[in-house]
Amino acid sequence: MTAAKSTKAPFFRHEFVLVAVIVLEVILFQALGRRFLDGSNVSNIFRFSVEVGLLALAMTPVILTGGIDLSVGSMMGLCAVCFGMLVKDASLSPWVAAVLSIGIGTVGGGLNAFLIARMKLPPLIVTLGTFSLFRGLAEALTKGSKSYSAFPDSFLALGNSTVAGLPAQLWIFFLVAIGIWLLVHRTTLGRSFRAIGYSPEGSRYAGIPVERNLSLAYILTGAVAGLAAVILVARLGEARANAGIGYELLAITAVVLGGTSIFGGSGTIAGTLLGFLAVAILNNGLKRMQDYEIFDKTIASVSNEMSGMLTGLLLLVALAAVPVVKAITARRAKS
Amino acid sequence: MKRILCTLALCTVPFLSACKKSGEAAGGDDQLTIAFLPKSKGNQYFVTCEKGARAAATELGAELLFDGPTTSDPAKQNEIVENWISLGVDVIAAAAENKDGLSTALRKAQAEGIKVITYDADAQPDARTFFVNQATEKGIGDALLDNAAALVGKEGEFAIITANLTASNQNAWIAAIKARQAELYPNMKLVDIKPCDDLKDKAQQETTNLLSAHPNLKAVISVCSPGVPGAAEAVKQAGKTGVVKVVGLGLPSENKAYVKEGVTQAVILWKVEDLGYLTIQAAAALAKGELKPGATEFKAGKLGTMKIEGDNILLGTPFAFTKENIDQFDF
Repeated sequence: MTAAKSTKAPFFRHEFVLVAVIVLEVILFQALGRRFLDGSNVSNIFRFSVEVGLLALAMTPVILTGGIDLSVGSMMGLCAVCFGMLVKDASLSPWVAAVLSIGIGTVGGGLNAFLIARMKLPPLIVTLGTFSLFRGLAEALTKGSKSYSAFPDSFLALGNSTVAGLPAQLWIFFLVAIGIWLLVHRTTLGRSFRAIGYSPEGSRYAGIPVERNLSLAYILTGAVAGLAAVILVARLGEARANAGIGYELLAITAVVLGGTSIFGGSGTIAGTLLGFLAVAILNNGLKRMQDYEIFDKTIASVSNEMSGMLTGLLLLVALAAVPVVKAITARRAKS
Repeated sequence: MKRILCTLALCTVPFLSACKKSGEAAGGDDQLTIAFLPKSKGNQYFVTCEKGARAAATELGAELLFDGPTTSDPAKQNEIVENWISLGVDVIAAAAENKDGLSTALRKAQAEGIKVITYDADAQPDARTFFVNQATEKGIGDALLDNAAALVGKEGEFAIITANLTASNQNAWIAAIKARQAELYPNMKLVDIKPCDDLKDKAQQETTNLLSAHPNLKAVISVCSPGVPGAAEAVKQAGKTGVVKVVGLGLPSENKAYVKEGVTQAVILWKVEDLGYLTIQAAAALAKGELKPGATEFKAGKLGTMKIEGDNILLGTPFAFTKENIDQFDF
């Protein structure tokens, strides 16, 4: 009996549910969509979602500590605008400006870190404040309407070219993913994030430098938001104050869908990557379902609008799946 | 657990069989696939554009893909265009929300051999072949003043309500009005130009001031859309309905009530449905190679022959919405 249980154990894992969801999505969209598994579309799936993916990766350690960072989307807007100004008004090379923009993101993350870790203010409130502050700064700097464009082609290639068969920015994403995976799963610092999320007081008594480690998590999201902003500008060829609007919620969705507990303490980078992939595939696939009739009703005009609804449903169903299956098997085992 | 998964898998079968393709795959046959991108999808203006676009596509036997952003995320228009590139559409017709940003994606489409045309709001000139221009500056200025002049018998004082004194669009229209007045209506006199900051309330207040400062005022022309109902409300409250004529640039739906009451005499705008129709006609001709850069005119189905100036295809003279015809339009 115990042996049978242990072989069944992987089925209960949240990651398994996500893999099943992703496989189902791919089958559905390949059957119903137009040229879904076409090479150029597959690279589009990643090209469009790398920015949200980066935010989700960096958001995972923060949520592991039991915190949250609502300011990342706004931070992207601020970094995008600063990047534009550095290149266009200060005539810097885009690569120098990119490094400086990531620096600005790091400083912004540092502000969050100071208020949360040092001043002991609640992360939700602090980042709600900086959410408005960063976006407001970006709008004030551009008077809401100015935008920066006409960047050199060598820089735009970062967002639009292909390197070894994959979108250029995907390689950066891989590097960041590996880096954050190593950080979270292979270092004591990473393990301390979960410990802090599980019990901040306990962690302190266990000798973990809670304040320092918590700060590092928020500084990391700030820096990654800066990087995401640079990649977005390279893809669009335009830097504007409204860059990254709403991305913070997409990133949080991917993390939570990936099985990370919103209360902190448990979660994996692999889960976040799967959650991110499930949402990215869903949004892309819906765009390619143009002329279908379901039960004799044409859904041509609503397929794109359904993405919000289906993302929500996916999140709720995936989160409910594991507890429900556990409850059913527990009942069956009793009877 | 396995049983549950099997049940789930079986559940999807009726769903799959209930879905059927109602169109052929894009690019796979001779049928022309035209992609039509609005600035935003929910806007009634673009919904009306789409109506005209659909009519043209049906006439041409072309397939029309209509998709646009539903949120203010500036990346969305680009994603839709890139999605169309990978679908292999024949031609893209786009109204640019972010001129420079969208141009990046449109240039990419051109590099992939997809023809590109813009309408309503232009992209960078090198990112498209033609721009379907709904109205030139002179066209709008002339239409506004001609309508006002006809209402006041070509003489008397008139005033202008504008968005703000630095708005480049509005200033170009005002310049056209001034030029037309000097040329054709020597007995008319422009007494004042007031900014309303694109606010209806401010326009109402400014018009009230104008009415008391210039008792002989015969007409108010608003060159910004919130100014039209604003000016109408002021004229109505001053009890000068019909005495002071109101003419302006705006959407018929926003002005219907005042037009029917006889406060506002004419609302000037292009026929939005025709804009969509012309855009699709031009897009199809461009894709088939019938319309080439350098052409000076173009035959657009039921609209007849349209003029082309440089790389701008002109929709023609703006249309005046009046008491008699305003009920036929719902945008």
